[in-house]
Amino acid sequence: MELILNTVFSAAFVAAIIRTTTPILFASLGGLLSDLVGSLNVALEGMMLISCLTAVLVSAYAPWYVGVAAGMVAGGALGAVMALFHLRFKADVILVGFAINIIAAGGTVTALNLATGDKGTSIGRVLSAAIPELDLSFLDPIPVVGPVVTQMFSGHSYLTWLGAFMVFAIWYFLYRMPGGLRFRAVGEYPPAAEAAGISPNKLRTYGLIASGMLAGLGGAQLAMFNFVGFTRDMTNGRGFIALGAVLLGRRHPVGTAIAAVLFGAFEALSIALPGILPQIPGEVIHMIPFVVTVVALMLSSKRKLTA
Amino acid sequence: MTLILEARGIDKTYPGGVHANQNIDLSVTAGTVHAVVGENGAGKSTLMKILFGVEQPNAGEILLDGKPIVLHSPRAAIAAGIGMVFQHFSLVPSFTVAENVVLGVEPRSGLKLDRKRAAETVQALAERFRLPVDVESPVERLPVGQQQRVEILKALYREARVLILDEPTAVLAPQEVVELFAAIRSLTEQGRTILFIAHKLPEVLEISDRISVMRAGKMVGEVAASEATEKSLARMMVGRDVALKVERAHKGPHEHFCRIAGLTVKNDRGLDAIKDMDLVLRTGEIVGIAAVEGNGQSELFDALGGLRPIEGGSVELGGIDVTDLSVEEKRDAGLAHIPEDRIATGSAGGATIAENIVATELGDTRFVRRGLLDGKAIRDHAVELIAKFSVRAPGPDAAIGTLSGGNMQKVVVARELSAKPRMLLVSHPTRGVDLGATEFIWQRLAEARDGGASILLTSADLSELLALADRMIVLYRGRIVAAFANTADLTPEVLGSYMLGFAAQGHEELKAALA
Repeated sequence: MELILNTVFSAAFVAAIIRTTTPILFASLGGLLSDLVGSLNVALEGMMLISCLTAVLVSAYAPWYVGVAAGMVAGGALGAVMALFHLRFKADVILVGFAINIIAAGGTVTALNLATGDKGTSIGRVLSAAIPELDLSFLDPIPVVGPVVTQMFSGHSYLTWLGAFMVFAIWYFLYRMPGGLRFRAVGEYPPAAEAAGISPNKLRTYGLIASGMLAGLGGAQLAMFNFVGFTRDMTNGRGFIALGAVLLGRRHPVGTAIAAVLFGAFEALSIALPGILPQIPGEVIHMIPFVVTVVALMLSSKRKLTA
Repeated sequence: MTLILEARGIDKTYPGGVHANQNIDLSVTAGTVHAVVGENGAGKSTLMKILFGVEQPNAGEILLDGKPIVLHSPRAAIAAGIGMVFQHFSLVPSFTVAENVVLGVEPRSGLKLDRKRAAETVQALAERFRLPVDVESPVERLPVGQQQRVEILKALYREARVLILDEPTAVLAPQEVVELFAAIRSLTEQGRTILFIAHKLPEVLEISDRISVMRAGKMVGEVAASEATEKSLARMMVGRDVALKVERAHKGPHEHFCRIAGLTVKNDRGLDAIKDMDLVLRTGEIVGIAAVEGNGQSELFDALGGLRPIEGGSVELGGIDVTDLSVEEKRDAGLAHIPEDRIATGSAGGATIAENIVATELGDTRFVRRGLLDGKAIRDHAVELIAKFSVRAPGPDAAIGTLSGGNMQKVVVARELSAKPRMLLVSHPTRGVDLGATEFIWQRLAEARDGGASILLTSADLSELLALADRMIVLYRGRIVAAFANTADLTPEVLGSYMLGFAAQGHEELKAALA
């Protein structure tokens, strides 16, 4: 037990949380945007997965930032596809989302096989790039806190810092800019937006595309930093956990970010625990983030009901 | 006296074949209040939607300031200076008044939404046109009357010169109507023009300068308000004399039938909607519940009807405790329910008229034998009720959702009354129902009362309550604040001051009136 506590309350563990949180944070912010504009994006998982593969394959032949951009574009394109089927062809948004998830699960394996001749992983087949680390070791000399701060915050992906900035940027957009007002109006009561001359479908299209691009950034982070290379089903439910973070975070950017950190922490724990408690089966430990998601949502909805 | 808005020869046939507007002419003078009255289905909503660009006419033209104009969308109408306030408001509940008003045309400073300027502009508009409202308050916290002001402010913010108000008084308490009329007068004084759609004739006569009457898609006449009477307008609207009058319950031994004691009901947010209510209903009387929307009447009716749990207290029907019984068991004890929403709770839209009528009678061996439906008996029963209640429908196999509001309501009323209930819950029985059908439904309710039923009635239309009820009870924030015998000196104004919480009867007075 002491060992667990020592692990959890260490600077290295904080660094691990930041690392595991980053992909979930991007996906959560994406989920937030689409949810607020009234088209719940259940395809975050599939979008991330396709973006992972896209980022890996592109970065094998181009610089890392092109790989990241490719992942983002892939996600955005999937968002546009969702908007097309949901808004133009009037298909149910949940069904369209699941179609994308199913296509992603099978399609990435097929594409991986075509590209590398391997159905399981790109590692060892193609040499994909990694996102560079942002070195903050110059903070080390600061007395007392310097070493701890460096250990916690140095060496993270550029995208981690972009993600933190996006929390602020999305908050500013939603609550300080006219566009955000319109966005929230569409999500809360579309007839009001329509009466004010705003096209709900146009904003929903933007929302889904932005949602896809953010999920794509999350995918790029996952496959070009947390892991370098693509493995089948490597998103492993993160897209769904992100949806949970949106709801748990009360559909607010800061709340969503906090929820994403919570889920990131349990994922980090599930990575650290097998080393400390080898007697517990790994499968049980890997269930932790999902169990936490379900429990957190139950508590949150119960509180809402009694409030 | 310049004309600001003119419609010439407007003709509209909907794709379904309904000829809603036939060669309509309408001339509206600038700076006046012009009312358009008519029964439901007379085509007045269609005409307004055409004038606001929601619908396109098949023929005819619209002139604004004497110049022809094509209104291909509401946006074009707004740009031309025409605004419209619909019965269903289009407001974002969590947004403030100012945010709702500026939505779509936001003042900016750089990239940012200029909240300060938005609030100031809206505040100035509100003061100028006598539409007082707290601009920083979320609209979901405002009463309906103030939400309506926000809608009017929205149109004024977009510089509407002609304002179309669609049945604006339908949702308001009497005092709120007074305030709305004050605002309308201030609008016309400042040169704005009001097109006022309504069916409550006393109000129309009070506020309008000119009145156009529509019937069955045609314009049947236009009169100056000063020359019209309620009776003459009703005759123009319906095409015959209408007797909207119901006799009071006759004297006789009216025994206690329904006892409500200490009833507490919670609303959807878990707050007390009805607190500790005591009420006794006698056989052969109609008790009217007057309340501004959202003061617990919906929850009360839902709870009595078994659609919402009862948190505390008891309900007794003819000596049987029905507090915790299921809807079916309550019905067996003699309860029937004409719910406020005929579409969501009163009927199943996709099912046929016959199926809707039999839905409450599935325990009856006339219609169900050995677990099998007797299709012929069910249809015959439906045909009988359709004839008896003069429902205008193609036949018993038509889906109820295809009927007009008035006819759908007649089916619901027919079903509930055919069970010969001893206790009848009635919410807004004639909301959106035309005069002819209203008269009919009122007569049927009075018949049921004379047959010995206890009727608990609520309606947003106070004149309906005053016409039907033998006793009247006012609810404010979930409590009974006043009770009266419905006599000639009970007026909407008296009720209104209790409904808005300005007055409350003392404990003794209340007890005496409720006994």
